[in-house]
Amino acid sequence: MRVPLSWLRDYVDLEQSPDWIARRLTLLGMEVKGIEHRGLEWRNVVVGELLSVERHPRADRLSLTRVTTGSGEPLEIVCGATNIAAGDRVPVALPGAVLPGDRRIERTEKMGVVSNGMLCSGDELQLTADADGIMILPADTPLGVPLAGLYGDVVLDVDVKPNRGDALSIVGLAREIAAVTGTSVRFPDSTVTEAGRPTPERLRVDVEDPTLCSRFVGRWVEDVRVGPSPASVQMRLIAAGVRPVSNVVDASNYVMVELGKPIHIFDAAAVHDGRIVVRLARPGERLVTLDHVDRELHPETLLIADAAGPLGIAGVMGGAESEVSDATRNVVVESAIFDPISIRRTAFRYGLRSEASLRFEKGQEHRLARIGADRTARLVAEWAGGTVAPGVVDTHPAEPPPARVAFRPARVNRLLGTALAPAEQAAVLERVGLAIEAGGAGDDPTTAGSGAGVNVRVAAGERPLVVEADPADVLVAVVPTWRRDIEIEADIAEEVARIHGYDLVPSTLPSTSMPPFRSSPLELRDGLRRALVGAGLREVVTHALVAPASLDRVRWREPVDVADGETEARGTPIAVTNPLSADHSVLRQSLVASLLDIVASNARRGRPDVAIFEVGKGYGRVGQTTSEWWRLALALWGPLDQPAWNRPARDADLDDAKGLVALVAGYLGLGEPSYTPVPSEPSLHPGRAAEVRAIDGTGATGLAGRIGELHPSLVEAWDVRGRVIVAELSVRGLTAGQLPVPRAVAPSRQPDVERDVAVVVTEDRPSGELEMVIRASAGPLLRHVRLFDVYRGAPLAAEERSLAFRLRFAAADRTLIEAEVEAAMAAVVRALETAGGRLRS
Amino acid sequence: MDLAQLTGDLEDLRSEAMAQAAAAPDSAALEALEIELLGKRGRLTAVLRGIGALPAEDRPRVGAVANTVREGIEAAIRHRGKSLRGGELDARLARERVDVTTPGRPIRRGSLHPSLEAMADIAAIFAQFGFVVVESPEIEDDRTNFQMLNIPPDHPARDLWDTLYVDLPGHLLRTHTSPGQIRVMQSMAPPIRVLLPGRCFRYEAVDASHGFEFFQVEGLMVDEGTTLADLKGLLDQFAHAMFGAGKRTRFRPGYYPFTEPSVAFDVECLVCGGPGCAACGRTGWLTILGAGMVHPVVLQYGGLDPERYQGFAFGMGPERISMLKHGITDLRLFMENDLRFLGQFR
Repeated sequence: MRVPLSWLRDYVDLEQSPDWIARRLTLLGMEVKGIEHRGLEWRNVVVGELLSVERHPRADRLSLTRVTTGSGEPLEIVCGATNIAAGDRVPVALPGAVLPGDRRIERTEKMGVVSNGMLCSGDELQLTADADGIMILPADTPLGVPLAGLYGDVVLDVDVKPNRGDALSIVGLAREIAAVTGTSVRFPDSTVTEAGRPTPERLRVDVEDPTLCSRFVGRWVEDVRVGPSPASVQMRLIAAGVRPVSNVVDASNYVMVELGKPIHIFDAAAVHDGRIVVRLARPGERLVTLDHVDRELHPETLLIADAAGPLGIAGVMGGAESEVSDATRNVVVESAIFDPISIRRTAFRYGLRSEASLRFEKGQEHRLARIGADRTARLVAEWAGGTVAPGVVDTHPAEPPPARVAFRPARVNRLLGTALAPAEQAAVLERVGLAIEAGGAGDDPTTAGSGAGVNVRVAAGERPLVVEADPADVLVAVVPTWRRDIEIEADIAEEVARIHGYDLVPSTLPSTSMPPFRSSPLELRDGLRRALVGAGLREVVTHALVAPASLDRVRWREPVDVADGETEARGTPIAVTNPLSADHSVLRQSLVASLLDIVASNARRGRPDVAIFEVGKGYGRVGQTTSEWWRLALALWGPLDQPAWNRPARDADLDDAKGLVALVAGYLGLGEPSYTPVPSEPSLHPGRAAEVRAIDGTGATGLAGRIGELHPSLVEAWDVRGRVIVAELSVRGLTAGQLPVPRAVAPSRQPDVERDVAVVVTEDRPSGELEMVIRASAGPLLRHVRLFDVYRGAPLAAEERSLAFRLRFAAADRTLIEAEVEAAMAAVVRALETAGGRLRS
Repeated sequence: MDLAQLTGDLEDLRSEAMAQAAAAPDSAALEALEIELLGKRGRLTAVLRGIGALPAEDRPRVGAVANTVREGIEAAIRHRGKSLRGGELDARLARERVDVTTPGRPIRRGSLHPSLEAMADIAAIFAQFGFVVVESPEIEDDRTNFQMLNIPPDHPARDLWDTLYVDLPGHLLRTHTSPGQIRVMQSMAPPIRVLLPGRCFRYEAVDASHGFEFFQVEGLMVDEGTTLADLKGLLDQFAHAMFGAGKRTRFRPGYYPFTEPSVAFDVECLVCGGPGCAACGRTGWLTILGAGMVHPVVLQYGGLDPERYQGFAFGMGPERISMLKHGITDLRLFMENDLRFLGQFR
């Protein structure tokens, strides 16, 4: 809310600087987000008096004026406006002046006459809405003084929280300030001079459902003359961010800003027979609203209507037909209280949230309905002339009693960690208008317990909780009617802290008992992240919300295994029903496409290489059940070995990614990963794609997923050159696991025995398969197998290759004898030959 | 062959050998010379073959001379060897000189993402005070995300969280980590000290300080006597650990439907230190997080008796913490993943 300080000072004595006021409001919970100094942007604009106004010698539409600013020679200024006459005092922008919008005024020649500056309209100064004529200042305005000194103002931008609708007004904020300065608030004058036929004889209001409109106060003002508001009123409204419309409409807006009470004013001529009905819309009903949109009305819409049909949407927007216009003579002032939820829903439904609906949503003080009606009628009569008809129509004149909230001062201290005596707490609360009574005082039915105690409301709303306390331990706060936010004991505690000052709450460290140890679900994830960073990869964090097209681009078609205990990637994608943009409208199911976006965006910026990973989630639903699964994904592109003067660049390939997978497996204490070709995964190169799996000592899957080179058509789709290697892995413990603790054994003192074997096979035989053959046949002494060479060429046939493996044998307890190793090797060779291999000598 | 002749031959061999050793051009030649002179089939052995022709009484005397000759030759070879090796090492060292001013062979350096790193930093600080990490789902139901946090449907406070809804009735993408409070209270008994980090979503246009996806870290502490003063003390510790021991802090009123009282927690501006500058909106303070005492209704939904238990909750954005700490002014950088940006972190 924009709060002009000049307006605030109407209701509370406030000598302090804007910075002081801003800080105090912030410390009261009314956070000041900004301080605007209006008028600072006017430089060299002063008050002048027109000595003469003559026709421009060469242009009929222009005037030549002589202006004095009190001292020096009179200035000749050319002016296009027609509302000026000699003797008027006006704002004069002297040469060198700067107006809002950084508009610079210089000495210029206009049709052969030198103009020494400019006479300003209210609009040019952004003071009033009047752009047609020069702004005429009061005749007693002192000559020559800078305009900023007269009309400059400071406007605070105050963030009023949703629970404090009462402070969404100048008077409300004045009350807050008065609480800390110890002064009192001057309430706006709402007395009216009445004459003529009484309102109840001209106007009748029927409310069909009082739960939707708890009070409707109507007033009748006759014989108004619609026109612009006084300049001072326009200045205030503009400073507060409200566009001036006309004296009648401005009166309603003025009251809304001042008191926080939204008001609507109808042209009385549009209200048939002076009979208003507040009712829900009927099926098929339509209304052209003030914004000239013809709307079909939803049956839950609360209407202000007459016998002929809707006049306006209650609390949200009036109808065009009953709008106040220049021709309006008589007006009906509506000051009503509507159901907050109904207004909120209606405003959302029509996309018409306004300053008025915002205030209705937060609830309104009952008594403001009458005050608002009177104050508006008074201002209409003051600014637009007219006669206020005697009396009001009022559907619910009885004021409800103020709320009484019992609280235990000891409990307030226990919540806050303070040691404030009950009397001290009472004194603090009284500063904001709460009256404090002793517990059990009088026969107070709202707080009387079933026994001798006083009922203290600990919780309200959907889960109410009331406890009965000893009257001696209780005080009862009588809450001012505007404070609709104070309902339970904890609200009182907050009010005590707020007014006493949060800076006076002590700073202590908890002395309560410690919870038991609990291992962190982040442990394994964090460990893996650090291991991959150690291997030179950069971690990225990408959006979980992606484009539907991105979802389709990389989607594993073949079922992908998951590590033990991890969540399967399954189900259909989950879409956002109100997305910000199509680019971020569904939850991803794989991380790979997101990483490819990052590869592409960095490549576009000229980055030669990208090696990244992300630990993130995929999402899906099966029926009404949602699931979220953690995955580790990586992408490699460009030279993994960065070029240097002492090393050529080397592009990342599948083997690099496999090395990283092996690093992960090793870090988690798993065995060497094994790979199975996956030729039919559409996102991947059919000849360079594999399913990877690594198992632990018990045979459980510790890591599983897809690894491969991105399909060339996708590389092209992402507009990247070269090859991109990707992997997406499910890792046991990624969801909430701990790092496995390695079992350590003393290294054998016996030397290992190494033997090599080279086997010739056709190209279609995977190396992994032969390695399995070796492992299966070598017997219990085998410790390790490693492919160390691949050979193609003479004397091998064209479709053949030779795979050379190095086997390491050892026994923990003894030195191996030659015959044992030879026997194992013979078994390996036989098995390889059975498997279709030929020994290469 | 007599004694004199044999000793003469030995002396000749010695002087010849001494000259040859001293003239040996390199270690290899010296080694060959040693074999030629002293080897099994070397010249010394050849000379000594004549010893058998001598009378028995002369043999010891020749043996003594032969030993002296052998020692003399060995010493000469050793001496020459030493000087040769010294020279050769010098030559090798000279030959092997490199330009030590050239840069090394680069090793790829990785980096952790600043959002998650800030989260880890926050968790590490609160771990010292006994806070354990718990996670809760990102796809939430409306009831846990709002209603059980004392935000009924159609409540004006819902304006504080512009929500992204999903095509599963009653479900949404969590707008904050606060629903985790409910899940924790329902599954753990007090004393509770938990930290709930994770990804959150809002219907919010992207600009320098807003995003539709971001991270949050929620804290919750519930026990029988946990007070607002404890919250203040703990947050002071946090601010000092995160931003520096001497930093001033400030509690001021805030508003959240799920806490009562609610507070905002500020730290003195890290840029100007108090007088006010553009970074702090001329107030001298930077807002770090929102917090408050858990609302009795929320305790009840968590299955706890608000008459017996009380506690506090706080929520902060790790990106905001990271921005303040590293002097970052644009939130969008965190999700853009420009490697030039990411490479500045460790």
